[in-house]
Amino acid sequence: MSLGLLLIVAFGGSLLTYLLGKVSARIRDAFAVLISLAVVVMVASLYGKALRVPFYEGFLGMPLVLRVDGLSWLFAIVASVLGCLSVVFSLGYMKGKERTSFYYSMLLLVSAAMLGVVLSGDLLSLFIFWEIMSWSTFLLISYNGGPALAAGMKYFVMSFVGSLAMLAGVVTLHGSFGTLEFTGVAAGMSSASPGYVLAILVLFGVAFGTKNAIWPFHAWLPPAHSEAPSPFSAVLSGVLIKMGVYGFLLLMFVIVGLRTFLSLGVGRIEFHTVLSIIGAITILLPTFIAIFQNDAKRLLAWSTVAQAGYIILGISFGTSLSVAGGMFHFLNHAVFKALLFMVVGAVEYRTNGVRDLDSLGGLIKRMPVTFIVAVIGVCGLIGVPLTNGFVSKWLIYKTLILERSPFLAFAALFGTWGTILYSYKFLHNIFLGQLPQRYEDMERAPFTMLLPMTILSVVVVLFGVLPGIPLAVIDTIGVSFGFESLHVTPWGIASDTGALNTVNMLVAALVGLVVVWCIFRSGARSVSVGQADSYAAGAAVPRDKYQYSVRFYAPLRRMMAPYLKDLVDSFYMRLAGWVRGLGDGLRRIYTGYVGDYVMYILVFLAVLIFVQIAWSPW
Amino acid sequence: MRILWFVLSPLMALAVGLFFLGLSRRFMARIQWRVGPPLYQPLIDILRQFTQKSVSHGPLFDLGVVLSLASSFIVVLFMPLGGTAPLSSSGGFLVVLYLMLLGPLGIALSGGEAANPNVSIGISRKLILALGYEVPFLMIVLALMTYYGTISIGEIVAAQRESASAIASFPLVFSGIAYLLILPAMLGVRPFEVVGAAQEISSGPAAEYGGPYLALATIQHGLTMFIGISLFVNLLWGGASNPVVFFLKMLVVFAFGFWVNAAFPRLRVEQAVRYLWRWPTLIAFVGLILVATIGR
Repeated sequence: MSLGLLLIVAFGGSLLTYLLGKVSARIRDAFAVLISLAVVVMVASLYGKALRVPFYEGFLGMPLVLRVDGLSWLFAIVASVLGCLSVVFSLGYMKGKERTSFYYSMLLLVSAAMLGVVLSGDLLSLFIFWEIMSWSTFLLISYNGGPALAAGMKYFVMSFVGSLAMLAGVVTLHGSFGTLEFTGVAAGMSSASPGYVLAILVLFGVAFGTKNAIWPFHAWLPPAHSEAPSPFSAVLSGVLIKMGVYGFLLLMFVIVGLRTFLSLGVGRIEFHTVLSIIGAITILLPTFIAIFQNDAKRLLAWSTVAQAGYIILGISFGTSLSVAGGMFHFLNHAVFKALLFMVVGAVEYRTNGVRDLDSLGGLIKRMPVTFIVAVIGVCGLIGVPLTNGFVSKWLIYKTLILERSPFLAFAALFGTWGTILYSYKFLHNIFLGQLPQRYEDMERAPFTMLLPMTILSVVVVLFGVLPGIPLAVIDTIGVSFGFESLHVTPWGIASDTGALNTVNMLVAALVGLVVVWCIFRSGARSVSVGQADSYAAGAAVPRDKYQYSVRFYAPLRRMMAPYLKDLVDSFYMRLAGWVRGLGDGLRRIYTGYVGDYVMYILVFLAVLIFVQIAWSPW
Repeated sequence: MRILWFVLSPLMALAVGLFFLGLSRRFMARIQWRVGPPLYQPLIDILRQFTQKSVSHGPLFDLGVVLSLASSFIVVLFMPLGGTAPLSSSGGFLVVLYLMLLGPLGIALSGGEAANPNVSIGISRKLILALGYEVPFLMIVLALMTYYGTISIGEIVAAQRESASAIASFPLVFSGIAYLLILPAMLGVRPFEVVGAAQEISSGPAAEYGGPYLALATIQHGLTMFIGISLFVNLLWGGASNPVVFFLKMLVVFAFGFWVNAAFPRLRVEQAVRYLWRWPTLIAFVGLILVATIGR
């Protein structure tokens, strides 16, 4: 299977989808699903291969190269699977919306561009695909117009700054080594001076950090994620921003190399420690901002920023356990966050676009399956044992503790407790409590939505009970970076300093549940009652008013609100304000009237003549 | 021997937890110059509740209670109670930290389906309070795990048996003091009885429970007390070589916690969090810094 064919199918499929949309919507939908499935199959068939295919000779004397190895395969499979599930989910979600052909075409284009990014074998192709990805993402974020356009603009401007930094890095590297292929650059880097390597890391770090939305480059993410169409939010949050993680991994461990990376620094301040601390900040601040969000998707978006912090913390801490944990958390986050965005999408679809956490409630009665998958997704997000998120976080915590970094471990653990607060609020305010009267006849989510959500929730549990399956893949990537192998077993990790055994936990959990269930059933049977039949101190339960969801954590908010301003975002907005003021000032000069311009020329000439007459400098 | 502990640990936790519930009522009564109910009153109540009919608000309402109690029993399996812990090599203390939150989370899910605002307010308070005591608590356990260089409770206990108990050794004494200061909050007793405040929010999460539900919730409450106290004994007071000594040590810690309970009125939830994030956090933080800089 050639890599070129894969990209041709992916990109061509996107274009063809748009054209087919002109013929028939049904054919277009079927074709989009088929293409995305075909891409999944083609990527899956690349498993375990290491290829290098030049696809264009002689661009400025350099070949453009595609390649695949363990690292790029992992990201490629996640991107293609999520892309496919998102297309299936869109079938229901986009029904009756405008410009659907454009939407599907862009969705497939984003997936194709992501595949291009991870399959690039040189920095120039990487940059080209990176730009295609950024542009098509902008078009999808601003698909809904209005506030979505503003969110898209914010994304685009920040992403553009990142791209410029990356371009500067690419040009510098080309000037130094004359090649942009990863292997060639890596060979050159091994003999470069530490200051040079650090400068390259920072330049690319800005690009990858902006895409991955780590603090302080996170400001674009919350509005973009909440305004984008939900199936695309799933892709955006699940895998697209993780292209930044891919970039970091590539840069740190493939191009710079493990030894050099860990020894870099200015004086006693190590670069990788600084990056870990940024990761820790990225966990803490957004978690607490997420607790007080009222928009379901904005809550999830802030949570995405926070979870990206775990990934950055894991990979930059630089031990075999932490890097494996970081990569595994990338995979897990892709699964459960895509699932949760789809849950919001399904709710939005049935409630005609309501995602305000203050006005929903009780939907467990109308959407039971959606609720179950939501609980599974939330458990993964918190990292409840026997879900996938637990294993990846466990790896990170363990290595932080054993390597004597208790403060970073504190940030990671405390972030998890914050996660519980916003996750429960998310579940409670949408699905629990009293069902409002207006939703009493609501239907369940359609099959095309339930299918992708169910698949993802099965993966959450599967990777939690048998983490050895993905960890085996991740371990080989880690070994290729130069780390020690982890001794992966199907149910966890064998180790002298604290083993992990998920099967023991599963058995204990099952036995515990069965025993307690039997005790519970041995008691008197209960009578099933409706939601109006609850305790109200003797008064009748008032309809639609007997609900506690608005300002769910009010006491905490009263305490913390003064400290939780997103200073970084206010700084950017002020910067944008200044730039706009500058633009307004300029516009006063560039009025667009020819007469004014003629006047400027005359005034300028007059000044020149005056200067010549007065001081005769020329 | 290990197999035996799989049965023995939960039974011991159940018995001691219920005993503590009875003792606390008796204890309070004596401080308030009353006679108080007999020690086995909680057992009688639970048996009675099992025979009483109750209402159910749906499958999650049932499952949540069961999940909550089951997870508390599983936590006990990770705890060495004056012997070896049955599930000692399955992820260590990090798993316990997570399992400890499943208890409240199960009640929260179950209570959520009850669709009663009193329940939801109680849960919101519980989660805020937990966030409050987790700050010092995490600092304490991180100081311990960093100091002893392990993530296993069993190894922390073993290390203390070789030298002194953690609470009697230099940097960890700060962690010990901080733990004592947050213990009432972890046990949910006054002045931190904000969750099940009977006079304000009709007992909060338990508002819709009756019959077997209430029985399970009561047992879960007893187990929570058992876990909070036994963690202190294991992590900071060197555990014990046999269950009897372990129980006696627990009794001392329990008496301390309930003396506080009897002496103070209830705080508001933000007052509670403010307290927890001030003195206990400061002391725990000093302990953690000392451990991170000086070490062993």
